Amino acid sequence: MISNCYYIGKGLVFTLQLMFGGIAIGVILGTLLSILRYGRVLGMLANGWVSLIRGTPLILQLSIVYFMAPSIIGVRLDMLSAGVISFGLNSSAYVAEILRSGVESLPKGQFEAARTLGIPDFYMWKDIILPQVIRNIWPAMVNEIIALLKETTLISIIGGMDIMRRSQIIAAEQFEYFMPLCIAGAYYYCLVLFIEFIGRKVERRMSHDKNS
Amino acid sequence: MIKIHNACKRYSGVNVLDNVSIQVKKSGILGLAGPSGSGKSTLLRCLQKLETLDDGSLECNGKTGFMFQDFQLFPHMTALENIVYAPNLSDRSAKRRRNNEKRAREMLKNLGIESKMYEYPESLSGGQKQRVALARSLMVNPDILLCDEPTSGLDVATTMDVVSLLKSVGETGVAMIIASHDLDFLTKISDRIILLREGKIVVDIKTEEHKNPVIYLKKYYVDD
Repeated sequence: MISNCYYIGKGLVFTLQLMFGGIAIGVILGTLLSILRYGRVLGMLANGWVSLIRGTPLILQLSIVYFMAPSIIGVRLDMLSAGVISFGLNSSAYVAEILRSGVESLPKGQFEAARTLGIPDFYMWKDIILPQVIRNIWPAMVNEIIALLKETTLISIIGGMDIMRRSQIIAAEQFEYFMPLCIAGAYYYCLVLFIEFIGRKVERRMSHDKNS
Repeated sequence: MIKIHNACKRYSGVNVLDNVSIQVKKSGILGLAGPSGSGKSTLLRCLQKLETLDDGSLECNGKTGFMFQDFQLFPHMTALENIVYAPNLSDRSAKRRRNNEKRAREMLKNLGIESKMYEYPESLSGGQKQRVALARSLMVNPDILLCDEPTSGLDVATTMDVVSLLKSVGETGVAMIIASHDLDFLTKISDRIILLREGKIVVDIKTEEHKNPVIYLKKYYVDD
């Protein structure tokens, strides 16, 4: 039992790398996409991207990045890079949507007030709009991080040795599914509890900053 | 200073401004009166370039400041930050920024809300928000201050405060155009009042030339 826990737990680092890498790309690209969506030509491209990513399964996106990369860019990606890129690209579309809903929930007057004060667009987004949006969308962002953590289990289809894959290996070797899957479930559940804990701390901090 | 010629603005086929022509040559307070939907806010928004005219021309020589009906303070910034944020963006030197802050503090002191400078908008009353919004729009040194319904949602005592506040701003040489549906308030504060109805100018009067401008304007304000 302990050796099984240890063996499955060794996949924790890989799972966390996928999650953090994916969410980092997702947030950066998603923020960029949500701002580009307010432009005309770039807005159409950004909307097209979001629609395409949301309209196709993540397992397909992961397969394209991993199996087709050699024929497209001439390089065979390792499993971690392929995973981080696919999860990041996939997450970017959802982050862009979360940000869009956050931006649209702000009163139009906030943009107008910034314009009447002569605040340039860059500073308007950086100092006026995004700080308010981030506070509003934080709970949805925590949800996205949790969803992404669970989606990292798809890495097993290209052979990535994450928590899930390791539990399946143990199950196959020992002809016993219940315990390894319970161990994997416990690892994921603990991770989710930890993300929720940090999320709540940040949320309280943000409201404390505002109210202190 | 301001020349509006045959201004027209339509929303979904409805004329919100219908051949409106106004000239404002010098400082002073111009009141824009009219019932809801008469086009007074739209006219102010066009002057601030938040909206564009469908027809006609609009010439505005001078820097404009704008006070929104619902203040539109930035909720994540304190009262002081709301006021100094925009001027500090253009003034990069530490000395100028200190001067901006000093000026903002003086302004808040004169407006009687010095003790609220580190408070966030959500903990301010309507009247206090109004003062912060006024200070914020004055920090950009406008030649013309455009105020959209500045007394909306304020009680009588606070409205009286706003009258004296805006009058004192007018005395500093800043021209003002104030849109309001409150005739009592407008006649107390304005040198000239233009009454709009369904996007058209119905009356244009100088308040000093009328013994009781409220009664005079009310005749045009409501349907016979």
